[in-house]
Amino acid sequence: MSAAAASLRGRAARAERFGRAVRLWVTAGPGLAWIVAFLVLPSAILLGIGFFTSGSYGGPELPLTLQPLREVAGYSILGWSSGNITVLARSLVQAMSAGVLTVLFAYPVVFFIVTRPPAARPLLLLFIVLPSWTNQVVRTYAWMELLGPESALSHLVQSLGLLQPHLGLFPGVLAMQIGLTYNYLPYMVVPLYAAAEKLDWALVEAGRDLYASGPRLFWNTVFPQTLPGLLSGIILVVIPAFGDYVVPTLLGGGKSMMIGSLIASQFLETPNWPYGAALTIFMLVFTCAGLFAFRVLSKRLGGAEESMM
Amino acid sequence: MMAISMGKSTRRSLLAMSLPVYVLLYAPLLLIAIFSFAPPPLAKGQTFYWYADLLHSPEVIAAFRRSLTLAIGSSVLGTALGTLMGFGLYRYRDRRARGFGSALPSLIIYTPIIMPSLVFGISELIFFSFIHGTTGLLGAGLLTMGIAHVTFEAPFVALVVFARLSGLDPNMFEASHDLYADARQSFLHLTVPVIRPAIIGGFLLAFTLSIDDFTISFFTAGPGSTTLPIYIYSAVARKGVSPDINALATLMIATVIGTGLLQYAFTRNRTRKLVARPGD
Repeated sequence: MSAAAASLRGRAARAERFGRAVRLWVTAGPGLAWIVAFLVLPSAILLGIGFFTSGSYGGPELPLTLQPLREVAGYSILGWSSGNITVLARSLVQAMSAGVLTVLFAYPVVFFIVTRPPAARPLLLLFIVLPSWTNQVVRTYAWMELLGPESALSHLVQSLGLLQPHLGLFPGVLAMQIGLTYNYLPYMVVPLYAAAEKLDWALVEAGRDLYASGPRLFWNTVFPQTLPGLLSGIILVVIPAFGDYVVPTLLGGGKSMMIGSLIASQFLETPNWPYGAALTIFMLVFTCAGLFAFRVLSKRLGGAEESMM
Repeated sequence: MMAISMGKSTRRSLLAMSLPVYVLLYAPLLLIAIFSFAPPPLAKGQTFYWYADLLHSPEVIAAFRRSLTLAIGSSVLGTALGTLMGFGLYRYRDRRARGFGSALPSLIIYTPIIMPSLVFGISELIFFSFIHGTTGLLGAGLLTMGIAHVTFEAPFVALVVFARLSGLDPNMFEASHDLYADARQSFLHLTVPVIRPAIIGGFLLAFTLSIDDFTISFFTAGPGSTTLPIYIYSAVARKGVSPDINALATLMIATVIGTGLLQYAFTRNRTRKLVARPGD
């Protein structure tokens, strides 16, 4: 009797679980299928192309080969060249300096905002975020104007003798650095602000009571508490800056490529899909390594709560 | 809340270090706006010369129309798919389940969010050219751009809807079940009304993402589907800084900043009302 009841209950539970699964696929299924069909599959194809031979028109052809990946490291038919390593190193340096610069700009701004009255804070934060809502092309274009050869800024630098006359600050590495820092600053300010707003000021008070001075007080009481926000900020700035396409193409000019513009040119100007795909694999490996390092770090530090789903 | 005590000198130095940042954020945008009001030497005094020029350019008008069509069309579909995803994952996912199978939906949803937009765009470029090459369907144009836009919009909508649902009392759904509402009725008469703000917010977010996007659009666009950002980009890449682009950029900046401030004013009033209600 009880065995029959148990089996009935078991069957009901199974039916219920089945019903839930069906409903999950009816509701979430179409969206998930869309993403798989139009992004997961296409990006898998792109990565796969990195293992093909480049055909006469730059398209992928058999046989499978590791040549494109070797090319990323600088080995071509003509032997080894440093060109690629330079581009990769430049991208890394640019992205990391953008990270450092945004941190330096963001800390004072964030603490300026959190020490204002609560009613004023959202507006002050909004004014930091607003420019980033305009189109990236427009934002980057704005700096072409500001740094061009005829601009007041360039004239100033020319008159200081740091720049030859009739040359602008743009295009070049410096312009690219400014563009990246400008574009990604809000992505540092927002997570840092979220961490700073929850700051436990009692700890700061305690530190002051123990006669800690300015820098030490900051380093031992404020900094550890804002570390989770800082880490998120670095991830949000460095990874997209590393693979940015708009800034290097508009502000960098032909001489100072970054990996983003190098990849794009393999698909646009002189096609070499396998090589472009191999560069993409490298970029994604870097992205994943960065995200993984961030996860490990933030877990070890006990901060950065896991988000939603 | 704990009062923040801070020396006057610290406050002053924070202000001194922050003010330049605010100025730097707006200086380039302001400069563009100023230059956009400078007419060519032969048309002295006509402040709006370049703006009138824009209105008479069929290319700009067409690009503007395409941007709007793309944004509205893709946001409608993206919001529908995203809302269903957010709801389905909240309501029907077995949260006790562990392992790869149960994590798969979240992994899929986060793919478009974490994928660098350049990789996103190039993947689409290759995929669509492959489909077009083999079947003749999906030639590069507004349709391919729309498909790509839906792909990056839907996950964001799902996150917004999911966040809203997580903030609600889960017993509500039990109650509707107890009142003999079937899944469809409960979705239409309970879920949709309570998540309406999230759906509207998600739609606006999707719209903004679509209007803002350059990189993904650039790689999925065809010869006849130039949208505003692509128009600006190709004009800038061709001839560098130019006054008509200044005017167009100024209009775009003004629209975004205006909308942002309006939205801020609107939500602030609403939250104030919500906060005030219990005390009435």
